[in-house]
Amino acid sequence: MTAGEVAARERADHSETLRTQEEAERTIDELTGRREVLEGPFSTRQLLRLDEALRTADKSTGLTFSVYVGQLDEPVRGHAEEMLGQLPTPVSSVMIAVSPNQRVLEIVTGADARRRIPDRDAKLAALSMVAAFGGGDLAGGIISGLDQLASRAGRS
Amino acid sequence: MSVTETLLYFVVIPLAAVLIISGLAAAGSGRRAKRYRPGRSYDFTPVWFLSAPEELADSHAPALPAGAQRAELTGGREIDKAAVASPAGTTGGASDRW
Repeated sequence: MTAGEVAARERADHSETLRTQEEAERTIDELTGRREVLEGPFSTRQLLRLDEALRTADKSTGLTFSVYVGQLDEPVRGHAEEMLGQLPTPVSSVMIAVSPNQRVLEIVTGADARRRIPDRDAKLAALSMVAAFGGGDLAGGIISGLDQLASRAGRS
Repeated sequence: MSVTETLLYFVVIPLAAVLIISGLAAAGSGRRAKRYRPGRSYDFTPVWFLSAPEELADSHAPALPAGAQRAELTGGREIDKAAVASPAGTTGGASDRW
């Protein structure tokens, strides 16, 4: 058997295990409508917690929170601001962009959101998020950061 | 205590316990490999979360045709890119590294 065949066999085995997990992960599909999130760094349980944290933050503050985890183009700040611009209401949105490879965290607030979440409080949330990321806890850091930002923004 | 009983209590039962525990540990570790570890390369698919993704889908079809404003801008004199207000207004926030 050549190396290529071995790799193909392994890939087939991998897709088998994915299929058995399908039942448990259908909830995620319903929530996001996309299967690609499962290729991301989060487990099913973490995805559910993240989803709940995002929904709670949005509902309590009236702002739109968005989380991106992945590679950011240089300049990272500019890329994060561009992503904020792509949201439905950029003015009252908060973009949290995390790039684990570059070890960079960017929190971008739109003009209205900035009035509710001062830069100083955003920096405080960033500090606690970075502490969690440094320990390897991506989901925990994001959720605690969302919680801090949402409680600072207050009720709508 | 007979030899068989001694063997059962001190060899077979401990061995069975060790096998069961190591089996459970091996079964549980397969899923756990999927996580971020600082310092190691991160090669997961990028993910972008929004509590209401359907809102983002709507923004692909804006009420105003995207080309309209752009044509007007390019028709005039060169405009400094920084002077054009971003859709989010003056953005704020924070940056950090770890």
